[in-house]
Amino acid sequence: MKAAPPDAGVAGLVGAVRAETGSAQSRAAARLMSILEDEPHRLPELLSAPGFEPRPPLLILGITGAPGAGKSTLADELVTEFRSRHPDLRVGVVAVDPSSPFTGGAVLGDRVRMMRHATDPMVFVRSLATRGHLGGLTLGVRGVIRVMELLGCSLIMVETVGVGQSEVEVARVADRTLIVLAPGQGDSIQLLKAGLMEIGDLFVVNKADQPGAQELYGQLLATLKLGVIAEGGAAGSGGLPGAPPQGVEPEPSPDLDLMRGRGMPEVHLVSALKRTGLGALVVSLERQADEGRQALLARRESDLREEVRQAILEEAHRLLEEAMGPAGTTAEQVARVLEGTLAVEEMARELLRKCGSDE
Amino acid sequence: MAHVLRDAGFEVIYAGIRRTPEQIVEAAIQEDVDAIGLSLLSGAHNVLFPRVIELLRQKGAEDVVVFGGGTIPAGDVERLKAEGMAALFTPGTPARTIVETVGRLVGRGA
Repeated sequence: MKAAPPDAGVAGLVGAVRAETGSAQSRAAARLMSILEDEPHRLPELLSAPGFEPRPPLLILGITGAPGAGKSTLADELVTEFRSRHPDLRVGVVAVDPSSPFTGGAVLGDRVRMMRHATDPMVFVRSLATRGHLGGLTLGVRGVIRVMELLGCSLIMVETVGVGQSEVEVARVADRTLIVLAPGQGDSIQLLKAGLMEIGDLFVVNKADQPGAQELYGQLLATLKLGVIAEGGAAGSGGLPGAPPQGVEPEPSPDLDLMRGRGMPEVHLVSALKRTGLGALVVSLERQADEGRQALLARRESDLREEVRQAILEEAHRLLEEAMGPAGTTAEQVARVLEGTLAVEEMARELLRKCGSDE
Repeated sequence: MAHVLRDAGFEVIYAGIRRTPEQIVEAAIQEDVDAIGLSLLSGAHNVLFPRVIELLRQKGAEDVVVFGGGTIPAGDVERLKAEGMAALFTPGTPARTIVETVGRLVGRGA
């Protein structure tokens, strides 16, 4: 779909990312990302390319939550905080926004909040549209993350809108998933019940400066506490802080040790806009990345195999689509399935044989 | 405009208002875009539009199509095109014309 790409192929682009710096490097990396976004099944080409020796990042952080909760603003502030703490380390952000199911088009707006980092050579932001293809999206995101690893990004954030299966899928790609909630969205706790709670390793109540933030914080602690009890994880005595902390400056740090001790996900009260609570959040993320280092590295190993597996499934799906041909060419068989004279399984096997014989 | 293009099936990365040419070009490179659409009402198009094209050239990304819109006098339109702007849309241009032109510029039917 590119106008006039210097089509160096995956291996050539990997070489360019390694050899070049500055804009030339960014351009090669961006082109690689496009290939992996458009044709996710080509990810193994990247993994096996000569010179693809990515440095494992410190942390791949998934950020999700309801629209308007302030995910992009939080991600933007985390970039700033991380960059000021580690001037030599690179940060990558993958911002996923939904495609229109009607036209296939998309307006990707997460970058708006991150434009001040646009000229920071140590920050790479890439937007992805969901394109209505779940498996392909997840694989595409994995591909973009791999390229960010190749660029040497130490912190990689993947931001998604937290309303559906795709977010759960994308969360699996991350080492840790952070759920952002904000007051004034009456359904925040409902949203958690609908499945986000299970994928959250870390919760942020954003907009701490606004009315209702303390209440939401308290509610969230109560909900999570119930969750821990249900899982049998809340042994011992001593009450959890059911009530929100008092004071003008909302820094819930005294509670954090208690949450950790209980095996509870941490809850942070921050204001991305007013820049409160962010330092504690970054320190906490760094600590988690550090403590879980061995587990993270082991998981990334198995991720590699999972990526190849997904690429094969993606390609098989594509081949099957091809074997079925454009809508209508299998109309006769479809009619027989409807009549009950042809089993779906039989038809699927036939198509698979057809795929196999095309090789 | 972003929404019009989305409804025509484009993926549009909205970068916000009052961006510098440097920010725009870096974002365009990282996103590997086919085209950049610039909107400007301040009258500084004769400086800022060519600056974007120049930066793209410097960074080896001259294959990115640049189009623009805003209150641009007819005399400036020809000059800007000569400097590398692929298309310029003045107020009142029908959305459909813009969609078709952009589609043609990036080599896809819209």
